Amino acid sequence: MTPDVILAAVRSEWTKLRRPTLLYGTYGALAAIAALITVLEFARAGHAFGRSGDLISLALLASPEGLLHAFSQSAGLLGVVALCVAAAQLANEYSSGTLRNLLVRQPRRTVVLAGKYLGILSFLLGAILVACACGTVAAFVMAHVRAIPTTAWTSSTGLHDFGQGLGDVVLSTLGYGTIGFVLGIVMRSPVSSIVVGLVFLLPFESILSVVVSGSARWLPGSLLDAVARGGTTDASFLAALVTIALYLVAWAALGIFLFVSRDVTA
Amino acid sequence: MSDLAIETKALTKNFGALVAVDRIDLAIPEGAVSGFVGPNGAGKTTTMRMLLGLIRPSSGGGAVLGQALSAPERFLARVGAMIEGPAFYAPLSGRANLSALARLGQIPSRRVEEVLALVNLTDRAGDAVREYSHGMRQRLGIAAALLPDPSLLVLDEPTNGLDPAGIAGMRNLLLSVAARGVTVFVSSHLLAEVEQICHHVVIIESGRVGFQGPIDAFVAAQSPELLVRTERREDLPRLAAKLAESNRPTRMEGEWLHVSAPEEYAAELNRLAAAIGITLVHLSTRRASLEEAFFAHTGEARSLARPKDAAR
Repeated sequence: MTPDVILAAVRSEWTKLRRPTLLYGTYGALAAIAALITVLEFARAGHAFGRSGDLISLALLASPEGLLHAFSQSAGLLGVVALCVAAAQLANEYSSGTLRNLLVRQPRRTVVLAGKYLGILSFLLGAILVACACGTVAAFVMAHVRAIPTTAWTSSTGLHDFGQGLGDVVLSTLGYGTIGFVLGIVMRSPVSSIVVGLVFLLPFESILSVVVSGSARWLPGSLLDAVARGGTTDASFLAALVTIALYLVAWAALGIFLFVSRDVTA
Repeated sequence: MSDLAIETKALTKNFGALVAVDRIDLAIPEGAVSGFVGPNGAGKTTTMRMLLGLIRPSSGGGAVLGQALSAPERFLARVGAMIEGPAFYAPLSGRANLSALARLGQIPSRRVEEVLALVNLTDRAGDAVREYSHGMRQRLGIAAALLPDPSLLVLDEPTNGLDPAGIAGMRNLLLSVAARGVTVFVSSHLLAEVEQICHHVVIIESGRVGFQGPIDAFVAAQSPELLVRTERREDLPRLAAKLAESNRPTRMEGEWLHVSAPEEYAAELNRLAAAIGITLVHLSTRRASLEEAFFAHTGEARSLARPKDAAR
């Protein structure tokens, strides 16, 4: 498996990913989510509404980490979109029968899989960066509207926090993308894989986290949320990162095994 | 083995308790156009998928272009295929679909334009595949199969759903490809088409090879017919009854009587007719078509999808 073969597979995947409806649709949706949440966070900052204990102070937004605070809040939604996109892209190859074309042209299945994975991850990375840019612009606009000082944002500490926060969101979103990618392989149907992913990560995890105390330390969605936020009260960043990495390695191993060994009958 | 493009030994595929392909021994000669014929569910597509490494045999093995079936990466670069109809990304153009495959297979991008021209799709290559007619998708499927400039082309029902003009176009395309020395292994329900383009045929029934060899040999092995027309049509049943006494099977089709008998029987038939006062105005031998030979061989005429069924 040489780099040029992998690169060829990534370029092949990008031929499909760059179609306007998918590219602009996904990038636009993530950018809109990031901008909307940023606007809402800044708009409600300093007001005592929203869920209890969820009050955002103006001082927090004026701090070095204030620039990316709102964007970090949108990580869960960004992750859900990433999961759906990755699951749909992979599962659609099975359901539409295009996988057989790919495997005839490149019979090394690990090459096809690596090309698709890297292609989709790079696609999602681009989407996060565009979303981050939109969130940043929205933050500066809203800071001006709410008269929040932004000098701390551009300080060296602010830029460091910004880079670190962006990295955390990237890791979290790519984690969601990996979950969706393998779900697509397991389910082989876009609708089924998306439904299973969403049902598990949203209502199932929410209910479980209420019913089982301490479950936020091991539930995948909660761990990815902790990674995106740089750690939470339930799980530190490092603990969350290590635990979710273990999950993802096992999950990816299952995906590789199924993709390589299963007959292609569709 | 060097003169065989495809060779299998006891190739078998089970899906649970179902034996889809049962110990088949294929011997597809290099450079020939070979037809793969059988009723629905006989195992044609499963066999082709095994030849392409898409599904793994339960047992047995073989070789494609001299390379072991278990190592498809060694031969698929020289194989083009279209299995179970063309499958493409509908929102992408025909050109983009081919480019994705060319990039994956590290095939020079100029081949995309070459194969588009070969299947007469250059003018519509920029349109989304979802806007293509069925015939255009079939041609795009052939173009995708031709991308690697293959030595072996494996096509599963390439004429399925095509109108007569589309079928004729596909026939000409396959013949032109074969004329360049490419081995073509094609499954089809359209036995008349197979007869027109193939030199060699494999008959598969219930997962087993019923016959393989030159089409002429297959057809010649079936009972020949004598074709008879009498001066007066009402004499036909009387002649048929007389022939039945001699254990000669007959069937009437309009003003014609088909008699299952070798050419040598013609003189005796003529004498027999004259003896009962029947004058023959036509007496000839007739070679069975592949379709008739197939039905005679399998005895399952009803189970083979006819062209009009396939188009539904």
